[in-house]
Amino acid sequence: MPDGLDAYNPERPMIMHVDLNSCFATIEQQARPLLRGRPVAVVNRRTEHTAIITASYEAKAFGVKVGMRFAEAKRLVPDLIAVETDPAKYRFVYRQLLSIMQRYSSHVVMKSIDEGVLDFKQTTPEIAARDMREIGLELKQCLREEIGCAMRCNVGIGTNRFMAKTAAGLHKPDGLDVIDSGNLRSTLARLKLTDLTGIAGANEKRLNSVGIYTPLQFLDADAVTLKNIVFKSIVGRQWHQRLRGYEVDDVEHDLKTIGRQYVLEAHGMARDKILQRLHHLCESVGSKMRNQHKVARGVMVYAKTYDRQYWHTRQMCELPFYSDEAIYAQAAALFMRAPTGAIREIGISCYGLESGGDGQLSLFGDEIAKGRAVTQAIDHINHQFGDRTIHSADTLGTDTFVKQKISFGSTRYL
Amino acid sequence: MNDETFLNERIEVLTSFGSGLNPCKPLRFRRASGREVVISEIGLRHPTRQGNRTVHVFDVTDGGADYRLEFDSERLTWTLTREADQHA
Repeated sequence: MPDGLDAYNPERPMIMHVDLNSCFATIEQQARPLLRGRPVAVVNRRTEHTAIITASYEAKAFGVKVGMRFAEAKRLVPDLIAVETDPAKYRFVYRQLLSIMQRYSSHVVMKSIDEGVLDFKQTTPEIAARDMREIGLELKQCLREEIGCAMRCNVGIGTNRFMAKTAAGLHKPDGLDVIDSGNLRSTLARLKLTDLTGIAGANEKRLNSVGIYTPLQFLDADAVTLKNIVFKSIVGRQWHQRLRGYEVDDVEHDLKTIGRQYVLEAHGMARDKILQRLHHLCESVGSKMRNQHKVARGVMVYAKTYDRQYWHTRQMCELPFYSDEAIYAQAAALFMRAPTGAIREIGISCYGLESGGDGQLSLFGDEIAKGRAVTQAIDHINHQFGDRTIHSADTLGTDTFVKQKISFGSTRYL
Repeated sequence: MNDETFLNERIEVLTSFGSGLNPCKPLRFRRASGREVVISEIGLRHPTRQGNRTVHVFDVTDGGADYRLEFDSERLTWTLTREADQHA
């Protein structure tokens, strides 16, 4: 968009956002027909204190929200059914959805396990010439035929990624909406400021501080005010363009950290037991990192205590590393400085990621080469016979508690 | 809390192999107790990897209970691994 132009993007909307409704809960209701029409909460653990990952629409109707404790939700909906997450199932549906979307455009970006964006500007002329609404309906039909009749998704169409996502949120579940220059104002007039993706907490306060309380006021704010007064950076200019339907979000972010966290299964756990679980997390992070062909330069460890204290520390290394032993050796040394109070949650992440190569080199070349060969052999065996076929003896038995879970935010490990 | 019972029961399954998007369809199965279950709907079929082995997981129902059947494509065996019937 040329500087100074305040007009709305007049182009034909050709960006489509597809969002699976209450993804994990819908997949569970698809897999288990007797759960359909019932309030379902998908949780990571079979305990009353676990947090809800996804709730079905039937549960949401009673006020059950994502992140709510199961026990609290159960008070709202006594017949709420908890179902434990089943990552393999969700990965399958994710791949099916991706495969369906790729039939229409090679330019598909999955934003998370349950949502993706199709760019029709870069597809064949035959497909690009079609009615986008018709394609949206067809996509919904494919989802029902190829995965199951209970599958529903929201489809949003817009001139940029932001508008497409906003359109996808207008009529849940199973909606299909288009936002273009013609209905932009009337659509934004129906929304709250916090309905806009990216506007919550600090950003809402920033906007409120200059008298912007509605999306329409946000739209009508001039670029200079947004840039110099509200956001005090280029972000303000980007919002000005984004709200007018111009693309500013077609960017790929590099992988910066790889990590895992774990809420301890018991109160007042002894340090050696916590270290075992930390070791397990290190093995998991090491495996993820090597799968991405990355090596790391730093390790960060954190702990949260029952009295709501957050502690963390980090360390950079001169040489890159990739093996589970190297990660754990550093994490365990860092963890020695953790607070002495009762720990509730631990986490570890590797940062300073670089593309793999001859990482972890030193003067002792032979030893390093042997270490690399052992790590590769273990990875190979685990790949062939299943995760954690070989692991450190220290983490024997931790699989019962520290299970592999699925992440919402990243699609790199799916 | 969770309504599922976890099992590891070898079962005999009558299956049709046809064409289309989902060519393999378990129709009915006989449990170790001798009880026969007629499948009224396949909720979802998804493959899982157990190392290099592919195990196809079928979540099915007979209308009174939900079941999970696993077909090991290397060993050609069927196993009943879950049952949930509290909502019958």
